[in-house]
Amino acid sequence: MSRTKKIYSVALLIILVLSLTLSACVPVVPGGGTTTTQPDTSGQTGPAVKLTWYLVGNRQEPDTPKVLAEANKYLKDKLNVELELNVFGWGDDYDQKTNTALAAGEPIDIVFTASWAANYNVNATSGYFKELNAYIEKYPAIKDILGEDFLNGSAINGKNYAVPTNKEKVHNWGYLLKKDLVDKYDMDVSKITSIESLEPFLKIIKDNEPEITPVCIATMDAPFQLLDWDRISDDDVPGALYPDNRDSTIINHFLAPESIEHYELMRDWANKGYIHQDAATMQNQSELMKSGTFFAASQSLKPGKDAEVEATTGIEWVQVDVTRPVMSNRETTGALLAIPAASRNPEKAFQLIELLYTDKYFKNLIDYGIEDVHYKKVSDNVISLIDPDNSPYNPGHGWKFGDQFKDYLMDNEDPAKWEKFLEFNDAGLVMNSLGFMFDKTNVETEISSCKNVVQAYYKQLFTGAVEVAPTIEAFKKELVGAGVDELIAEMQRQYDEWRK
Amino acid sequence: MDKSFGIVNDNMKKNRKYKSHNNIGNRISGTSNFFINLLFVFNCILCIAPILLIIVISLTDEKELLVYGYSFFPDKFSVKAYDYVFTAGDTIWRAYGVSILVTLVGTLLSVLVICFYAYPLSRQSFKYKNFFSFFAYFTMIFGGGLVPWYMVYTQLIPIKNTIWIMIVPYLMNAWYMMIMRTFFKTTIPESIIESAKIDGAGEFRTFFVIVLPLCKAGVATIALFCTLGYWNDWWLPLVFITDNKLYNIQYLMYQTLNSIQYLASGSAQFSESSKVLADLPTEGARMAIAVISIGPIIFAYPFFQKYFIKGLTIGAVKG
Repeated sequence: MSRTKKIYSVALLIILVLSLTLSACVPVVPGGGTTTTQPDTSGQTGPAVKLTWYLVGNRQEPDTPKVLAEANKYLKDKLNVELELNVFGWGDDYDQKTNTALAAGEPIDIVFTASWAANYNVNATSGYFKELNAYIEKYPAIKDILGEDFLNGSAINGKNYAVPTNKEKVHNWGYLLKKDLVDKYDMDVSKITSIESLEPFLKIIKDNEPEITPVCIATMDAPFQLLDWDRISDDDVPGALYPDNRDSTIINHFLAPESIEHYELMRDWANKGYIHQDAATMQNQSELMKSGTFFAASQSLKPGKDAEVEATTGIEWVQVDVTRPVMSNRETTGALLAIPAASRNPEKAFQLIELLYTDKYFKNLIDYGIEDVHYKKVSDNVISLIDPDNSPYNPGHGWKFGDQFKDYLMDNEDPAKWEKFLEFNDAGLVMNSLGFMFDKTNVETEISSCKNVVQAYYKQLFTGAVEVAPTIEAFKKELVGAGVDELIAEMQRQYDEWRK
Repeated sequence: MDKSFGIVNDNMKKNRKYKSHNNIGNRISGTSNFFINLLFVFNCILCIAPILLIIVISLTDEKELLVYGYSFFPDKFSVKAYDYVFTAGDTIWRAYGVSILVTLVGTLLSVLVICFYAYPLSRQSFKYKNFFSFFAYFTMIFGGGLVPWYMVYTQLIPIKNTIWIMIVPYLMNAWYMMIMRTFFKTTIPESIIESAKIDGAGEFRTFFVIVLPLCKAGVATIALFCTLGYWNDWWLPLVFITDNKLYNIQYLMYQTLNSIQYLASGSAQFSESSKVLADLPTEGARMAIAVISIGPIIFAYPFFQKYFIKGLTIGAVKG
């Protein structure tokens, strides 16, 4: 066989492989790493501007196209935009898609972000999000609705890279108690004002109900949370302030005197049999609560939490508020919308975000779907789903964006829910640390080794599974080895600098 | 074609006969035979038990799962989990269809591309053999990283959000190519190709009519690997697919499990996490999806089994 023929074959092979890949090309939205911004088409004429929105959720609801078609009809007249909404799953799914797309400079226009999803802090400081201060000034509605305090809470070095949802702005901690047992023994829950004042009730359950475990604990969902440390970083990173604004000294809250006292109490409870023996290895508190074999569970609370948990667990609960409501960084970065730097129409995107705060019709359309198709109005502000068990559009988006107080209420919710929320917000104590964002870059190693140590010890301590004194001794030693002192010092340095 | 394959077959039969004659002398004793059998029975149980458990869990009453945990012999059976799967609309069936389509088309194209690359490399007469071998080998050691890789498929070849994105990235696999190359090298003597040439066959005819039929075992092995690879893949949809109509079954399952795990771990610091968690499928439903996703792929095994062992041993890379 001649040589040319051989070369010809090789060429053929390459062409074949290439054509396979290339024939796969279907025209889609051209990707672009370019950051050239088209001038915003002012006015409502011309072709609609396409906006892409990434959001986190359970799934893309089957009727999303219908709802979007309706929304786009409305938006065409309002802003002359065409919205495309993409919903991705919690955790890895959302983070993977969003972070890769941001890094690759895809022209997405709006992304959901938070301290726990598409990491707000990291993406903002890496320059993937647009600075929004100019827009916030130009379109002041959002600022008026949120209030300066809360809006500044999510700013990084005085710059807003995203706008938070207007919802509950404070949190508190307390217990949920199983209602049938509370009624059976006629318990006066108003006596519960602290972690330890729950104990007499636990004793009643332990003595009379052999089938019921008094306290339900799994991972971080433990009474320890009722100490409500104002944490600087993640839940499992040492470093926190007292939750009453008493000073500006950051301490290792896992080894603070109050915490050690709490571990002793838990040890005592465990010895008395109030805590289930496998607590230290359990993963999911809400699954445990569904089983109906537990009396009390510690929870982060807000008005109407008991009804909400009843809906998810199928068991009636009594809500007991223990700690005082506080406004901390936990809430300000809990749910935000940002505009990626690669967006081609940032101004339109911001106007759309503004609509979510100001336009009741549009907000409810995205939240609940189309009237008389997906829900029916019971009264002016109350709705019921048409097919509650298998609704083609019930994404539960309400708290993720815009002004949640403009949302309709479901017929099984407290009609005064929003009033109670507002009252709850007003009662909150604003933490001095509000708006402080810890920059981890200098102490990455210390953080990850401290995390490992905390992960190895906290479950035993929170559940009273081990003797406290020797464990604390070992815990302390390992934390020091992991560089906790350097970590706290760095936190203190950044915090002091920020306070100035 | 039939003839040449028949010769190989005859050879194999002769071989087997010869071997079994030879083996009578050193046949293993009854006791060790018993223990070896026992060992493999035990091994089989280890493999099958988890699958059985998943099937049983998917059929267990949800309440019982919460209170007593997993059990091989639950007190109360329920098909509610499958109810959920069958009434959840067409999402699952659609995903099923996507998986089957991608697996079939992907396997076919992938085997073709791998064979086309491997065959010339197996031929002594191909001049650029070393270069192309190295070219493939290089990709096994060095990768471009996630973001550049992502940009290739979104900007250079914009196939993001199409069915092709789940097929194209896995078309070529250097490792399978090397197995195939070795297989060609060891199974096809140069003289067969020469005789085909003398009879007037061109390169393509030689490849399709002589070489491929002789290498059925190798092709089947690679095809099985590809089938499994395509069927089990959730990574490509995770990165590239944003249109829920194109989700495949594995990704759907991954998304559900991952969401539940994430929300339950408490890493999601928002107050609605428990509410959201309750809307996701229950333990039983998740297992039911798992059972359904095993479905077709379990039939691929017996189909390929015939060639599989031979393909593996002969195709093993010997340098």
